[in-house]
Amino acid sequence: MSFLQALLIGLFAYLGSKRTPWVFGVTGGWNMIGRPLVAGLIIGVILGDVRSGVIAGAMVQALFIGQITPGGAMPADVNWASYIGIPLALAAGGTGEQAVALAVPLSMLGLGLFNFIMTINAYFPHMGDRAAEKGDGAGIRRATYLTVIPSFILRAGSAMLICYLGAPLAESLINNMPTQVLHFFAVAGRMLPAVGFAMLIKQSLSQKWMIILFLMGWIIIGATNMTVTALAILAAGIAALFVMAKGETKVVTAGTQTDEEDDCYEE
Amino acid sequence: MKNKNAILSRKDINKAAWSYIFFSQATQNFERMMGLAFCYVMEPILKKLYADKPEEYKKALQRHMQFFNTEPQLGALIPGITIAMEEARAQGEDVSEELIVNTKNALMGPFAGIGDSMIIGTYSPILLSIAMSMCLEDGNPIGPLFFCVVWLTTIVGMQWYLFHKGYSMGIGAANTFFTNKELADKITTGLTMLGLIVIGGVASTTVRAGVIYKFVSGEMSISIQERIFDKIMPGILPLLLTIGAWYLMDKKKWKTTQIILGITVLAAIMVFLGIM
Repeated sequence: MSFLQALLIGLFAYLGSKRTPWVFGVTGGWNMIGRPLVAGLIIGVILGDVRSGVIAGAMVQALFIGQITPGGAMPADVNWASYIGIPLALAAGGTGEQAVALAVPLSMLGLGLFNFIMTINAYFPHMGDRAAEKGDGAGIRRATYLTVIPSFILRAGSAMLICYLGAPLAESLINNMPTQVLHFFAVAGRMLPAVGFAMLIKQSLSQKWMIILFLMGWIIIGATNMTVTALAILAAGIAALFVMAKGETKVVTAGTQTDEEDDCYEE
Repeated sequence: MKNKNAILSRKDINKAAWSYIFFSQATQNFERMMGLAFCYVMEPILKKLYADKPEEYKKALQRHMQFFNTEPQLGALIPGITIAMEEARAQGEDVSEELIVNTKNALMGPFAGIGDSMIIGTYSPILLSIAMSMCLEDGNPIGPLFFCVVWLTTIVGMQWYLFHKGYSMGIGAANTFFTNKELADKITTGLTMLGLIVIGGVASTTVRAGVIYKFVSGEMSISIQERIFDKIMPGILPLLLTIGAWYLMDKKKWKTTQIILGITVLAAIMVFLGIM
């Protein structure tokens, strides 16, 4: 990996981190450039192997698909997983499976950096407080703009340095690994996305029977040639039918025997 | 709520909406979360509203420096409402400081909950799943590009709409949002159902586990995977793995890291024994 490539990866790592205003704020940054799927494409372009980049991105994305970050408390740092895990795996000539295997420990280590930035950034609201006391609007703006700096230095710097210095290490590590260990990485890398989907099911299930829907989607794609886009349209139809049918029975029962209906819905 | 002699122009609101979309999460920190950024968005508005009352301007800046935290994208309604309330206050209506602060505080929790579960927990994974299915096999860049275009246009558009809706309806916007519970429930249920089916489909192509062990006896060699598991159902092992992981997480309260460790150890043992 050349220095310029590492620099570009660092830059995009910063643009995809949580506190960047540059690309439509959190929508285009953290929630778009920061997603491993999108990171895979960007890294693929930078390293000159779009195909491997996109595949690795999609595989790492599966691992983190169920991650939501309520109140800024993060279970794992997707940023390091994407912008260090994928480039190191690609630079070492590895595949998506290696990217997944690298992403797991990196996402846990990166959490330290995330919490560090969240903590030191608590300095800037105090700057804002002092400006507010004086009625100094320019001071509020200054405090807001200055908040960009620590994120930029730490996010871009860490991804750039680890990618640049770590690439030769990762390369020799992966090249000198016994085939048995490489095979283990491949097996584990293909199994680990189960965690991401399990997290997502856990959050989505509002009623227990809904697990059937997950099974249904699994079986339809597994047993037919249907694309996921077609499945999504079919699923939208099923969901619409259910919601409409449920809405109508409610109206009917509510009109006739409200009390009984209430009873049977209470558990 | 919108009155004829409004102090703020359409241009002011547009500017505030853009500055919210770009900066809402830019100053996030453990102490105030989105507090400083909220004040940043309000500042030009407050300056105009309290142009001839410097003391009011100072107090207004201070009340918007306070702790604020919500799901920023769905929460775009809240700064819109706040601006409408500040404008009413500046026009001499009976809107107390406490009312403005309490409204913000009362709204941020529900919006964080609904926003996290609907936008981050359901809408984004559905789009990501569809996009992943387009590129997982052949690395086609159309997958990530599809995600970027659809996500960016819908969510930026939604924020723009909600911000203006919040301003034009004022506090009434929040009421419509919460009283219309039946519609909200329908949307949530529908999106959840759609999401689960799509996610099931993508999981079936993403999670993979296969047995390479072959039962050999003399001349006869039986592939366990082909002869047994594929006969039951192709992909039965990854399905059991995913459902098992969900069961341990949801019912047995295992932590994510424990499951990751568990799968890693399982893979290591299976590879060591030559089964997988």
